[in-house]
Amino acid sequence: MRKLAVDVVVIGGGSTGAGVVRDVAMRGYSTVLVERADLGQGTTGRFHGLLHSGGRYVVSDPLSATECAQENAILTRIQSQAIETTGGYFVTGPDDDPAFADKFLEGAKATGVPAREISVAEALRNEPRLNRRILRAIEVEDGTVDGWQLVWGAANSAKAYGAQVLTYHRVTKIDTADGQVTAVHCTDLKSGEDVLIECGFVLNCAGPWAGQIAAMAGAHPVDVIPGRGIMIAMNHRLVNRVVNRCIYPADGDILVPVHTVSIIGTTDVKVDDPDDLAIEHAEVQQMLDAGEVLIPGFRSSRALHAWAGARPLIKDSRVSSSDTRHMSRGMAVIDHTTRDGLDGMLTIGGGKLTTYRLMAEHIVDAMCEKLGEKRPCRTADEAIPGSESGKNYVVTHRLEEREHDRLDDQIICECELMSRRMFTDALASQPKGTFDDLRRQLRLGMGPCQGGFCSMRATGIALESGHIDIERATGLLRLFLKNRWIGLWPILYGDQVRQTALDNWIFQGTLDVEHLPQPESEVAL
Amino acid sequence: MSRVVVIGAGLAGLVAANRLASAGVGVTLLTKGIGGLQLSQGTIDVLGYAPDRVTNPVLTLSAIASARPGHPYAAIGAAGVHTGIEYLKQLLPDLLVGDAEANYQLPTAVGAIRPTCLVQPSMVAGHLKDGAKVAVVGLRRLKDFHPALVAENLARTTLPDGGRLVARPVSVDVPARDAEVDSSGLTYARAFDDPAFRARFAAALKPLLGDGETVGLPAVLGLKDRTAWSDLADKLGHPVFEIPLPPPSVPGMRLNEALMASAKAAGVRVVNGTRAVSVRVEDGVVKGVTVATAGADREFTADAFVLAAGGFESGALALDSYGTVTETLFGLPLAGLDAGPLVHGDYWGPEQPLFSVGVRVAGDMRVLDGNGAVVHPNLYAAGGIIGGSSRWAEKSGDGIAVGSAVVAADSILEVLA
Amino acid sequence: MSHEGLEFAGHELARASLDACVKCTICETMCPVSAVTPLFSGPKFVGPQAERFRNGDSVDHSLDYCSSCGTCTLVCPQGVQIAELNSQARAVMKADHMPLRDKLIGQTVLMGKVMTPVAPIAKAALNNKPIRAMMEAVVKVHRDAPMPPPQGQTFEGWFRKRPKPSRTPTRGALVFFHGCAGGYFEVETSKKSVEVLEHLGYEVIVPKQGCCGLAQQSNGLFDQATASVLKLCDDLRAAGTDLTIISSSGSCTGMLKHEAHEIMGVTDDKLKDVGTRIRDIMEFLLDLHEAGELPTDFAPIDMTVPYHAPCQLKSQGMGMPAVEVLKLIPDLTVVESGAVCCGIAGTYGLKKEKYDIAQAVGRPLFEMVKKTNPDLALCDTETCRWQIEQSSGVKTEHPIFLVHRAYGLS
Repeated sequence: MRKLAVDVVVIGGGSTGAGVVRDVAMRGYSTVLVERADLGQGTTGRFHGLLHSGGRYVVSDPLSATECAQENAILTRIQSQAIETTGGYFVTGPDDDPAFADKFLEGAKATGVPAREISVAEALRNEPRLNRRILRAIEVEDGTVDGWQLVWGAANSAKAYGAQVLTYHRVTKIDTADGQVTAVHCTDLKSGEDVLIECGFVLNCAGPWAGQIAAMAGAHPVDVIPGRGIMIAMNHRLVNRVVNRCIYPADGDILVPVHTVSIIGTTDVKVDDPDDLAIEHAEVQQMLDAGEVLIPGFRSSRALHAWAGARPLIKDSRVSSSDTRHMSRGMAVIDHTTRDGLDGMLTIGGGKLTTYRLMAEHIVDAMCEKLGEKRPCRTADEAIPGSESGKNYVVTHRLEEREHDRLDDQIICECELMSRRMFTDALASQPKGTFDDLRRQLRLGMGPCQGGFCSMRATGIALESGHIDIERATGLLRLFLKNRWIGLWPILYGDQVRQTALDNWIFQGTLDVEHLPQPESEVAL
Repeated sequence: MSRVVVIGAGLAGLVAANRLASAGVGVTLLTKGIGGLQLSQGTIDVLGYAPDRVTNPVLTLSAIASARPGHPYAAIGAAGVHTGIEYLKQLLPDLLVGDAEANYQLPTAVGAIRPTCLVQPSMVAGHLKDGAKVAVVGLRRLKDFHPALVAENLARTTLPDGGRLVARPVSVDVPARDAEVDSSGLTYARAFDDPAFRARFAAALKPLLGDGETVGLPAVLGLKDRTAWSDLADKLGHPVFEIPLPPPSVPGMRLNEALMASAKAAGVRVVNGTRAVSVRVEDGVVKGVTVATAGADREFTADAFVLAAGGFESGALALDSYGTVTETLFGLPLAGLDAGPLVHGDYWGPEQPLFSVGVRVAGDMRVLDGNGAVVHPNLYAAGGIIGGSSRWAEKSGDGIAVGSAVVAADSILEVLA
Repeated sequence: MSHEGLEFAGHELARASLDACVKCTICETMCPVSAVTPLFSGPKFVGPQAERFRNGDSVDHSLDYCSSCGTCTLVCPQGVQIAELNSQARAVMKADHMPLRDKLIGQTVLMGKVMTPVAPIAKAALNNKPIRAMMEAVVKVHRDAPMPPPQGQTFEGWFRKRPKPSRTPTRGALVFFHGCAGGYFEVETSKKSVEVLEHLGYEVIVPKQGCCGLAQQSNGLFDQATASVLKLCDDLRAAGTDLTIISSSGSCTGMLKHEAHEIMGVTDDKLKDVGTRIRDIMEFLLDLHEAGELPTDFAPIDMTVPYHAPCQLKSQGMGMPAVEVLKLIPDLTVVESGAVCCGIAGTYGLKKEKYDIAQAVGRPLFEMVKKTNPDLALCDTETCRWQIEQSSGVKTEHPIFLVHRAYGLS
């Protein structure tokens, strides 16, 4: 058994946990983050990529709106590389109530969310695919964000302040003594080794899994209502700005251009288990219909991949538990001292990615208060490593990079223009990673061919790197293909069927990949 | 004046066009672009798995034909496949060896051992025996072939005939052209057409080879020069074999160019860049096919039509967002739609039923409806548009293409005579 | 090109087709430019691949190595308008900094008009090495690049001044579109085409006509090109709106048939009208033959001649009508070149930095031509003929020359 001793254990490697561990480390505590999978593999990596302007909440949730507007500005500055300042539109669809736009403008004014009504003609000129029958258009400062880069950025910043980040470590037990949390037990899932982390404080940032973690410490049940939402990535940017429906928040009301794709989201279905992330046929159809309202012909555009994420909503008695949409998006900090007589643990729930830094500030403030210490938050003032220039991401970024290095380097993932050097560098920093771990940082296999051409290359390069043996290499290939398929088959129609047919032709037809020596057990992580 | 219009320039379309034209019939071949051959592995599969590994394809396909009446081989028959294979060998005497009674078992670019029927002479030495010693040679500037992946998987594989082999990876860095580190297989193939490049390459590789080693190389050993591989083997003093790569497939290009050249030489009028968009049917008889070309659409009329447009991979079959599958040109009735969900979530599980959907054909390759009646008296189908098989998993696509093409062509010739 | 128009073209036309790309690489295998130089990253890369990364400023200037020959679009089995995507991206790139040279060689009418009255001087100037070297330095056109042969008489001049045809038309009227090259440089081709049509019994109407704008389009000058092509539509429609239009200028025909629409997003109905009525002359003759209306009383021509089908013609999706028509001439053996491209691709091969690439692209064709018949080659488009003739030294004519001869007209 491995033993560690730190001031604070942060549980959960999503945006909240990463933000919290950064904040904790920057305030001078020794800290470790524990995550059962890879960073950003839960809810954070499974959303549509919107950096809210606040517009979405100006009518329904004014406090959130103001917070979003402020945090948007901060993140755009401190995590500039993860964020593209696309701007956004709220548009009134042909059958939507045009009067909502008036409420919207009023709300925007009241909440300090920058918003300006523009003519429909201007909106159509800038976004020519938009439904020509829209009635009104309001311009806002929405942006888009790469959730994985956001999380990795925060984690790297935390590491620079001395924090440790343990991914693929599952928490198995939380020790308490005399009503005080004393240690966290976890298992290193890759090596099987047990790890004991003695600590003075636990910050439970496990999102939809926060209830499970709280229970390990013997707290009274924390009811988390995982609201499942699905998202579909379309092959290219159907719009270059975020496009929202100018209506009271509803399902399928947003189209977000992130990197090379545009993502439509999202549904909201109450589920019991946050790991139940099925992509239901009916929800896919609902998304496509919603897309059709914004972009006529949406159904005949090419869908690449679908996924589902679980919202980390904490139960709020004000609304029916089956209606998660209208639950407050504001964060909830659960104080286990007053609630359960348990010292040394706070649980945070709710919130949204855009305000992840602010959530971290609140929970760490609460911790400091409990510890009777005054250590101010500095996370808004300092850029995270890699974003010092303050230059925001632009979609042309990789095209420009390849323009400079394409004669000196190979392009391994052609769809997403990932070079060999990008891949080998990431591999060197995560030699035990799966191709999905690398994918989240590199976008490997996330373009039109969905791994059809790059996965064999990635396998060969990983094997040649010497980090893994042939059994693991072959197993990783099998795992990657299997995981790509999870997000492919629910949206397999139209042009993507032709792609899938060609991919099958390559893998089955030419490579006969299914007749490689069969593994004794499949590689899982 | 053309009496037959063939739609599609993959293996099926090219074989049908060749056979019809060489019998003296006027043929117009309509094709959207270049056909699928150069996406293929460049060998001719007849039957590789059923589901166990097949050693005698014709024999096994007869069994399939009687056991699975919906399988294309039930309509084409062993005789049809046999005729097709013989005809193809006759068309491409320098490019294909083997016969329909035996499969070669050849390494793939991930190191699996794949059964296939007719192979290019440059691949024959890849049929490996117990105790073989293999050097798998990669080119550092060619990203589609990783010798360690191939060699180490081969080394842990029990050969189909039993026994094991010894395989090791070797890497060499011989640029296909200067100032480029990301060369495609085709760029290398063009380089290997040049004897001077072969000499340079052999000089770099020869010192790295051990006694008694057979040399496996990516299938890039020349495009135009059919002797490039044997010249290289001579220069190395070792037997060499080519291992097919994902597209662009150089062996596939060789087959494609040769079949296209023989079609043109036989008098086929090839009209490229034409997407067939609609058909004109009168009293059940197909009169013409209209293609979208620059400017005005254009109709091609004929006495008989061969639909050889492929399956889902080419868009000849399409699945829309509502789940409806259609044959996109004639709107033909399709078989294989009633077997439950067309797609499931288990990637490594059973074959996805979607990719077995296609038209059903009679013994003369005319398209049938659900009741077994001929849909149009002068419409024939060949190749991937015919449903009923998982052609990539079975390794049966080429046999179906070639067999259905010759049977369709011969049926048409009989009617026209 | 105004950005609005470009965006429309991008969104409505080519960009919509990028969804069809399955990365199969067939376009890459046939690209004549990437076959000879790594400087061009290939049609799949700059087309459907890079397009997903484009928004705002142009960052991939190497796309200018694309010659716009259109082969990628032609061979794509999935219907991706690769060349069109590239042309649009180039127009965006050039919107900011258009070299003087690209503006100059886009002005074919102007060039022809200026040269014709002083043809001998112009010809001398173009063949004069020091002057060519100066041109290379100033406007960056390569000193050895093939340039149009100026003529002493324009086609229009000939058509107006010639004696009236003796035969009375028996088949109705046709409109003849000669194009700039056919009007000012390739006057013989236009003359022979008209004479063949009149021999067949047609009345040939030649309205006053301007430039189709192709050279401007291929150099990214979409605004000027759009104005040119629409003006030309008016010119051609002035002769009647229900007559078939015949042209012996294959590339200009392509501009009218599809490129103005598919590359520049011109949606005007008059373009659609002209685009559907226009026929390449060899296409027209083949149509007549298929309808059983082409007299085949050809005199034998005992000759083996290489024929190169230009990219611009192949991309019109009509196969190779010249090959089918010439097959009807007794004793004539036509050997199709099998080459993808001659390299010139309109004005690409004229440019100083592209000249060597264009020569490398065309080399197999030049060798084939020389080997097949050192005295004569056939090709349907003007700039390709100049390129083949200049680079192989073999006289290169439009296929109509042989039809003209086989009908006993020359």
